[in-house]
Amino acid sequence: MSNVRDKNAGNGCGSQPVTPQSDQKDIKTPLELHACMGLNACKGHDRFGTNNCAGTGYCATQQHVCHTLNNCAGQGGCGLFGDAAEQCKPGANDCAWQGSCATPIQAERFGTLGANKDKSVWLLARELFEQRMNKSRRNVGDSPYPAGPPQAWLMSLGSYDSCGSSGDKSCSFGFNSPAENTQELVERSKRDLADTVKACDCDKNDD
Amino acid sequence: MAKGILKNGATRVTPENMEEALQQAIEIEIATLPTYLSTYYSINRTPKQKPITAEFTKLFLDKGDSEQDAVTKAVEYSTKIMVFANKAGANIMSVVVEEMLHMSLASNVKQALFGNPELIGKSPAIWPAYLAGHDPQFPINRAKLSHDQLETFKLIESPKPFDKKVLGATALPYLTIGDFYKGIEDCINEFYCDKECYHGDRPQLIPDRGYYAQNNIDTLYYDKKHKPVFENAADAGGLVHVFDKDSALKALEIIVEQGEGATELCTKNSEYDDKSDHELAHYDKFFLLQKELGEINREFKDVFGDKMDVEKHFIYNFADNAVTTDYPATIQAVSTLTNAMYAYLFIMSQACYRADSHTQYEIFMFGIHKSMLWILSSLCGEMTGFNYIAPDGHSYTATATYEEYKFSSASSPKSQIIELFNKAVAAYDGIAYIKQRILDLPDVTQESFLGETKTSLMA
Repeated sequence: MSNVRDKNAGNGCGSQPVTPQSDQKDIKTPLELHACMGLNACKGHDRFGTNNCAGTGYCATQQHVCHTLNNCAGQGGCGLFGDAAEQCKPGANDCAWQGSCATPIQAERFGTLGANKDKSVWLLARELFEQRMNKSRRNVGDSPYPAGPPQAWLMSLGSYDSCGSSGDKSCSFGFNSPAENTQELVERSKRDLADTVKACDCDKNDD
Repeated sequence: MAKGILKNGATRVTPENMEEALQQAIEIEIATLPTYLSTYYSINRTPKQKPITAEFTKLFLDKGDSEQDAVTKAVEYSTKIMVFANKAGANIMSVVVEEMLHMSLASNVKQALFGNPELIGKSPAIWPAYLAGHDPQFPINRAKLSHDQLETFKLIESPKPFDKKVLGATALPYLTIGDFYKGIEDCINEFYCDKECYHGDRPQLIPDRGYYAQNNIDTLYYDKKHKPVFENAADAGGLVHVFDKDSALKALEIIVEQGEGATELCTKNSEYDDKSDHELAHYDKFFLLQKELGEINREFKDVFGDKMDVEKHFIYNFADNAVTTDYPATIQAVSTLTNAMYAYLFIMSQACYRADSHTQYEIFMFGIHKSMLWILSSLCGEMTGFNYIAPDGHSYTATATYEEYKFSSASSPKSQIIELFNKAVAAYDGIAYIKQRILDLPDVTQESFLGETKTSLMA
């Protein structure tokens, strides 16, 4: 089973990014607008324009703060806000401003309603992305981070803000390790992913 | 049935006053929002733990604890504050989202039976406010979180007659909101059984369009180990499309059960309002929150001494029923914009009952949702960053006042909101980040007769 841990520091939340290199800059004009790391369809379509193939991109090419603030189809981050059906479609919303939550989708984010409640949003987004690519007869490479970009890594690239008033998703009051909490979330979500996708299909059909 | 069930003094809901009763139901739900929102925004859900821990560490050291013990205990007690503050916020927000649901459900019933649910300008104009037609009357304040404020919340949601001592009242006949809705339900059962009475084709806020979510990130909190705890259950009820007697009764049943507790669905635990027995009814949520607030106050005084004011760590010092005119010019500008945004919410909500399906969707998703989550919420939060000296000479934290803002008929409400934003941002540039969100709002008229228009609402 893949771990959330960072490749260097072994801490899923407070890690240093392995790449990009310090001289890599955000591309000015993204070739494709997508919601997050590992959800790009083609070579050179990530935030830095350097990825080799589908699904291996480093980060979102678009960024928005939250629910209904996205400008294009396929940019909705999902989780945190939105109804059950909407939260089953991370990175797969049909229309501008329909996304359920902010992008990029950090590894720590969980759904708040429906089949993906209290489960990883990024893993569901990646699964739906792989299904779309499979339908299009495309090969998909590994995501740089197997469970999505840790919040600390996103913050190291610049300001990163997630939604809501209930506080940081990656946090400790002194009685837990944030990395272990995220690891538990990821493992539980992976274990249940097939069932989640199946249940989400029902939610979508209800929509 | 108690006397004075309706504002006009009628004692029974009949076909003659049913339309008025349903409008009154809508207004009861609207009246609860400012008081719940005021209290919600008085809570700092995520106070900074480090300085609290440092303060407590010093207190334990002063009491003679070793450094290690002092730090360990300080973390323990600061965590109690972190969890409780967030929980209190989640608790009240979980009720707010359901009150908005209730406003929509009551509006759906009125729309189906009579049409024209009126939502604009129905917020209480004077505070303390009183629930329309409630007998006996009791004052409702816009106020910070406190034992007394939670007592008021319990009165609003009470499933039982008040203890006379609570109000110091004489033996007045008592009426709960549940009794009020029971009167409407009885009238429906007696006089509105025929499907022909219902116009389900009129625009309503209906399920499966993404309009309502039982939980979101604001209705959860984190426990001691930072695991999310969800306040609302997914099966606690949602929107209902009203098109016949059964659907009308179902809509009303959800309102009463969420507020005062299920009476038939949950035979094991009637205080729960969902089939899975996970979600407490509003009354019980407030009862337990009040109990927990009392316990945390007592515990901290026991540990740190009588001078310990634990509430100062997570409750802003709002003045009761603050008004915009109390504020200095800078705060007034932001407060006025906030009031206008609050009023626009109801203009957009009413427009949803006059709009075709796609227009309604655009208004709701890109207007109402966006306003609540990314404009109004931001402004209410920004207000707590201001302090001022009130007319009583004391210093307070500013709060959103939810006063009725009257838009001029000379231009659209949206264009007036943009003007108010320009004035407010000139006075306080800390709100510059919401400019694009305001510009993206749909342009809804006060009349909101949008059914046939093909003019795009979106910028």
